[in-house]
Amino acid sequence: MKFTIPIGPQHPALKEPISLRMTVEGEVIRDADIRLGYNHRGLEKLAEQKNWIQNIYLTERICGICSHSHATCYVQGVEKLMEIEAPKRGLYIRYLVAELERIHSHLLWLGVAGHEAGFDSFFMYTWRDREVVMDLLEMISGNRVHYAINTLGGVRRDLDEGQIKKILDGLVVLKKRSEYYFKLAVSEPTFVARLAGVGFLSKESAMELCAVGPTARASNVPRDVRKDDPHAVYDEVPFEVCTADSCDVLGRAVVRIKELFESYKISEFLVKNLPPGEIAVKAPKKAKPNEVLSRYEAPRGENTHYIKSNGTDKPERLKVRAPTLANYPATVVMLKNGFIADIPLIFAAIDPCICCAERTVALVEARTGEEKIVSFSALRSLARRGGHHLASKRNAVWPF
Amino acid sequence: MAVLKTLLYLLVYPGLLFLFVYSTFCEWYDRKLYARFQNRMGPTHTGRWGLLQPIADFVKLMAKEDIVPEMADKRLFTLLPIFSLAIVLTAGLLLPVWFIDAAAVPMISFPGDIIVLLYLLSLPTLVFFLAGWSSTNPFSTIGGTRVLTMLFGYEVPLFMAVLSPAILANSWRLAEIAQFYQKKPILILPNLLGFVIAVICVQAKLERTPFDIPHAETEIVGGTFTEYSGKKLAFFRLMTDIELVVSSGLVATVFLGGFPGGLWLGLLNFIVKTLFVIFFLSLIRALTSRIRVDQVVSFAWKILAPLAVLQLFIVILFKGWVL
Amino acid sequence: MTDLDIIEITQSRLGDKAAEIANPAPRRIFITVEPQNLVAVVDGLKKEIGLWYLAAISGVDLGDHFEILYHFGHDNGSLTVRTRIPRAQPQVESLSPVIPGAVLYERELQDMFGIIINHIPDARPLVLPDGWPAGNFPLRKDWTHERTPEIIPGGKK
Repeated sequence: MKFTIPIGPQHPALKEPISLRMTVEGEVIRDADIRLGYNHRGLEKLAEQKNWIQNIYLTERICGICSHSHATCYVQGVEKLMEIEAPKRGLYIRYLVAELERIHSHLLWLGVAGHEAGFDSFFMYTWRDREVVMDLLEMISGNRVHYAINTLGGVRRDLDEGQIKKILDGLVVLKKRSEYYFKLAVSEPTFVARLAGVGFLSKESAMELCAVGPTARASNVPRDVRKDDPHAVYDEVPFEVCTADSCDVLGRAVVRIKELFESYKISEFLVKNLPPGEIAVKAPKKAKPNEVLSRYEAPRGENTHYIKSNGTDKPERLKVRAPTLANYPATVVMLKNGFIADIPLIFAAIDPCICCAERTVALVEARTGEEKIVSFSALRSLARRGGHHLASKRNAVWPF
Repeated sequence: MAVLKTLLYLLVYPGLLFLFVYSTFCEWYDRKLYARFQNRMGPTHTGRWGLLQPIADFVKLMAKEDIVPEMADKRLFTLLPIFSLAIVLTAGLLLPVWFIDAAAVPMISFPGDIIVLLYLLSLPTLVFFLAGWSSTNPFSTIGGTRVLTMLFGYEVPLFMAVLSPAILANSWRLAEIAQFYQKKPILILPNLLGFVIAVICVQAKLERTPFDIPHAETEIVGGTFTEYSGKKLAFFRLMTDIELVVSSGLVATVFLGGFPGGLWLGLLNFIVKTLFVIFFLSLIRALTSRIRVDQVVSFAWKILAPLAVLQLFIVILFKGWVL
Repeated sequence: MTDLDIIEITQSRLGDKAAEIANPAPRRIFITVEPQNLVAVVDGLKKEIGLWYLAAISGVDLGDHFEILYHFGHDNGSLTVRTRIPRAQPQVESLSPVIPGAVLYERELQDMFGIIINHIPDARPLVLPDGWPAGNFPLRKDWTHERTPEIIPGGKK
């Protein structure tokens, strides 16, 4: 007997609203459908009305976990448009913060995977370690979440000797603990039994559906923008692309833990080899008419910004393609023929950052031409209409 | 006098009041242990060391709004929490906590009461299924089916593991089994395998990690309890706490030699032995992750059931050769 | 394969279809094609240089025509195929037969710009809400939104 279960838009497994409609038969999923659009904020249109510097802060707020990736990707592109080059020291600090953000994001993901699997102790331990990274980031930039350390032409704050020493100490502590997690992830029997074989995505499917990030790398597709398209410092820093060939959620966990170790190596290299000098150059107010494609490896995959300028101090077009959007078709394929019990794990394995994936215009009403004053209750009902297929407690039409 | 004694027994100790207070204490103990295993603090604010936290949760739930879904079967929906609470409270009465002379009060202890206790403890599972079914919510239905699927897994090993010390002690009566092991404590050792199996199966009966699939929060919202709120949810939670106490009491009676010593010493014995068993239950909860329901059934039938049969075999051999 | 290799292969094998090939920066190649040759060029690129990874599809509103850019990535950089379609008749062929992962980006393009994509496998709106009035394409330059003045219940009018 088939019936449809709605997962979302509100569900304890989802950190952000997204609607997955699953058609299930017993415990097996027969079909899955993803509906997006609950988290739109109108950022691309808004970016056309703000100038280059204001847009740094706008792009940063696309997401909380990968805020620095969006800001860096944007700033990289605009620096190319304005034909300015940031000094070496500034670049090193910028990418040091980027690697620290990658560490924090992967630790967060490990905790979330543990929580979705029911392994709450693992969740508590990794999030405790995340505090170490967030303290380091707060020391460097002053904020725990939106670091705001980028500016056009470099970074805004410098590192001194005491901070460098603290960063190195923190990395040592994290490295020891991550080795423990690696051992745990591959040898704890209930955890492995829960993750192995779940969410299978073959190498051909990953390539066909253009999957990115650890989702693709766990299917043995060695695609990493830091190697394919090295921007700024990544052609000087030694590191390796981490892949796994088990094509399932366990492979994705292993890839992310391996990437943690690579990030520790990169951060240590960047901190130890920090060149002296300036941290920023002055950037012009306007940019000549030109276009640029900026690519960056965010913790979740490849982040692509396409920026076009028209000679004024505002961009003509800013297009952001966040990594989670690229992984959605792959998710649908992974969900089919899985178990209901695996839904949160499969969905968490692509590391969904839904606020990244939806930035286009999301105003709830606009009647062309007419100006209408809308009451709050009407706005609310329009907002709720996105979830009207979810049964409300009072008058539900049950599917059987 | 006998009436007063019976009322005291039913309502105060080991009846309603004692089970209510002690089960909240055990929930606190479990939560505090779980938190300390995870490098956290656990309840600290309400009462000294957070001791009053479970009571505070109960009182808060009693004060919340009680919503019944429109399509739900209202009578069944409302009766089930009360019914389940009654079941576990009755089961609690069968534990030999107060060593009443068997001849004087026959209704408390009788031959075969171990079977009655096991039967009463498997009724809550059916109640969970009915609760999920009467809620008419897809998540509750899935939770209900998962509860029954798990029942197929862990019931048989639990029964076999709990009955093997009874076979060794040559009796089907809890008080006599406890007495037998009090006289010869060394005989606990052949039942060690059964103790381990019983602890794992009790963890499955109480639906705690790694077996908390029926109410897995991240998958099916609340499972069987999705639609329950307010007083009904308070009763269900109280029921799970009392089930924890009664099951660990059962395991302590059969495997660890009961609760000798009359009233006060027996009470101390009860507390110490049940806390010992709950320690193991919390340890398993903190160290494992949730497994899928098909994995539960295959684990139970491929590993637990053969081990339980092995335990029975050991006991029979021991009885034949040694005793 | 370096930039020069790719340019050479594109020119020799697909020279008649690719109108213009530019290499403005290291590891960035831009190829301009006519809309009717789009699928053929992408298919050719997939066969000749093994280009399977579509990163994004961007749309730009240039006034009297739309420009659509298909950003691909390969082992040594990125390659963008761009095409222009007139605003009066915004139609283009779908890339999904060649690159199945393109469908979500094309749906977004349909929503935001009102470009009609022929033979798209799934034409449902992707990002706009269910009750969105038809004919409103937010990312076109002529679509603006005036913020409705906020009414605070019980406050000043």
